[in-house]
Amino acid sequence: MTAIALKAIEKSFGSTRVLDGIDLSIADGEFLTLVGPSGCGKSTLLRILAGLEAPTSGIVEIDGRIVNDIRPASRNLAMVFQSYALYPHLSVAQNMMTPLKLRDLSFAGRLPLVGPLLAREAYRSILARVEDTAQILKIDHLLDRKPGQLSGGQRQRAALGRAMVREPIAFLMDEPLSNLDAALRIHMRAELAELHRSLKSTFVYVTHDQAEALTMSDRMAVMMDGQILQLGAPEEIYNNPVDIRVAEFVGAPKINLLPGTLDSAGHARFGDMVLTRVTDGGDAGPVTSGPVTIGLRPEHLALCDSGAPQSLSGRVVHKENLGADVYLHLAVQDGAHRIVVRTTPREGRTASLGRTLHVRRLEDQAMVFGPNGNRLGLSGVAGRTVAEVA
Amino acid sequence: MRSGGAHWWFVGPALFLMVVILLMPILMAGALSFTSYSLGNPGAAFVGFDNYEKIFTRSTYAKMFGATFRYVFVVVPLSVGLGLGAALLINSTKRFGDLYKTIYFLPVMAALIAMAIVWEFALHPTVGIVNSTLERGCGTFLEGWSWFARGCERGFPLWLTDRDYAIWTVAFIGVWQGFGFNMVLYLAGLTSVPRELYHAAEMDGAKSAWDRFRLVTWPMLGPTTVFVVTISFIRSFQVFDTVEAFYPQGGGPSKSVYVMMFAIYEKAIQQNLMGIGAAITVVFLAFVMFLTLVQRWLVEKRVHYS
Repeated sequence: MTAIALKAIEKSFGSTRVLDGIDLSIADGEFLTLVGPSGCGKSTLLRILAGLEAPTSGIVEIDGRIVNDIRPASRNLAMVFQSYALYPHLSVAQNMMTPLKLRDLSFAGRLPLVGPLLAREAYRSILARVEDTAQILKIDHLLDRKPGQLSGGQRQRAALGRAMVREPIAFLMDEPLSNLDAALRIHMRAELAELHRSLKSTFVYVTHDQAEALTMSDRMAVMMDGQILQLGAPEEIYNNPVDIRVAEFVGAPKINLLPGTLDSAGHARFGDMVLTRVTDGGDAGPVTSGPVTIGLRPEHLALCDSGAPQSLSGRVVHKENLGADVYLHLAVQDGAHRIVVRTTPREGRTASLGRTLHVRRLEDQAMVFGPNGNRLGLSGVAGRTVAEVA
Repeated sequence: MRSGGAHWWFVGPALFLMVVILLMPILMAGALSFTSYSLGNPGAAFVGFDNYEKIFTRSTYAKMFGATFRYVFVVVPLSVGLGLGAALLINSTKRFGDLYKTIYFLPVMAALIAMAIVWEFALHPTVGIVNSTLERGCGTFLEGWSWFARGCERGFPLWLTDRDYAIWTVAFIGVWQGFGFNMVLYLAGLTSVPRELYHAAEMDGAKSAWDRFRLVTWPMLGPTTVFVVTISFIRSFQVFDTVEAFYPQGGGPSKSVYVMMFAIYEKAIQQNLMGIGAAITVVFLAFVMFLTLVQRWLVEKRVHYS
């Protein structure tokens, strides 16, 4: 079931076009991530969905209802802000009570001092819900503190709690983890994903960190320059990017992009390295000739002995040791290009800076992109037969 | 540690200036308040608490406190409230904000002593614009209001010279003159309210402007409000120029506008009774000190968020 649908959303600030025809439908209970570099329009899209910003044109639908003219307060969405936006003068409990108070209490019930006396029952149930939520988030011991007395992680939980006390149609999160330190961010990734599984409600999550998108989402939309370049499951996006910009943005360390050429049979080649599969132009047969870009992820390369066929050799210029993996940066073709290779710690230990190493690619992993950045299909079967000839 | 004299050379100049310029005058006023000193006299008699006794027993000084507190408790709430209201309105307009700011700030910039001439003219019993405008209302439905009807019958009040009206008129001019300053302070305070809090309030379901004001604006302006209120109190206690301009002799009809600052001036400068003048000064300083302490306490207790 579709919970949220965005249709042909466009947004311009003056003459600057920020969003350019966004179509997106988000299923009920889905964890959808909008990911992209700064300034790609992902936050603007989220704010349009929330209603904090009006689209220049296009339709926003929530639960099958067009909400373009409905104000944010009436859209029944909850939002977690990057700065958390907790009310600094209220305790954590009061912060979490605010959305319930504003929605469930009459004007008289919200009056200070006399309010709790007039609407005693309502207050009791609100308090109970706040305490339940606080227990889930493990902040029940912090309820009396002011936001100023909390650490970053605790504030983040309080902001999450304020969103969770109600049962909104969807949770909108605008880079909620970007103000946390690295270790806590990784911890909160797992916790948010777990929370999503237990709440079973729709999450729309904005981030510039591709790792967050890959680890948490059911589907992710990679945005750039006001457009959604690719929408799909994280594995699909990582393994099968349709655009060179997507391939470059997703994955750390970045994918190796090598300038290559297509020969007459449709094989892409870079130096001595020739891809076995041929580019597939559909019914028209192999696409031939012209410059292409060959994409090889660091894990699609392996060290090999010198003289191995189709290998590349390069000088080690930098070594990144991540413990479980060691990434070697090699300068190939006399330093004209740099490639990053993932190796095991055992292999990495012997690779000292300045040494010349040889790498080969793993079969069937390379991606080929056309001159305008679009992905070219590779046909495996045809390629293998031709490979013998080449 | 070797004890050298160097540290005195560092703190000495500042300490010296602070004592000579700030503390000495206050201590001298305190000392003078126990004497019957007059300027030019070779000596002065120690009179103990006589001066203070006069201040708290004589009817002139009862009038002084009455006028001062009336003025302060009209001017402070009104100028703070109007300042906040004007700031919120200007903050919400997209156009002409700067124009309004300038207009409302004009009375603050204008010298009151000069503006007093304008007010004296406007409030003149017969040719003043205020009363002549009111007279035009005679014969209309406004006469249903008994105060208005009486005005039509026996003439409208002598705003500045009727002892029932004088202090309120002066207070009104005080509000007129002061609220622009508070408005500017509130405008500065409003710029520091994070926009995201309003967005959070909207997402939390704050639909009316009042909800947003209660939830975000007013609490976030807390520190500004404490400052504005304290400044307004001190400025109202210090009112002098209006009174001096309107009533150079003796503090208004039946001393109904005999505010503290004017009393100090009259006693100490005009009548050369330094002792009593100093005593009023000390009482005045006590008020200001008290207000400052209250402000400090509020800032630390109630509105300190971070």
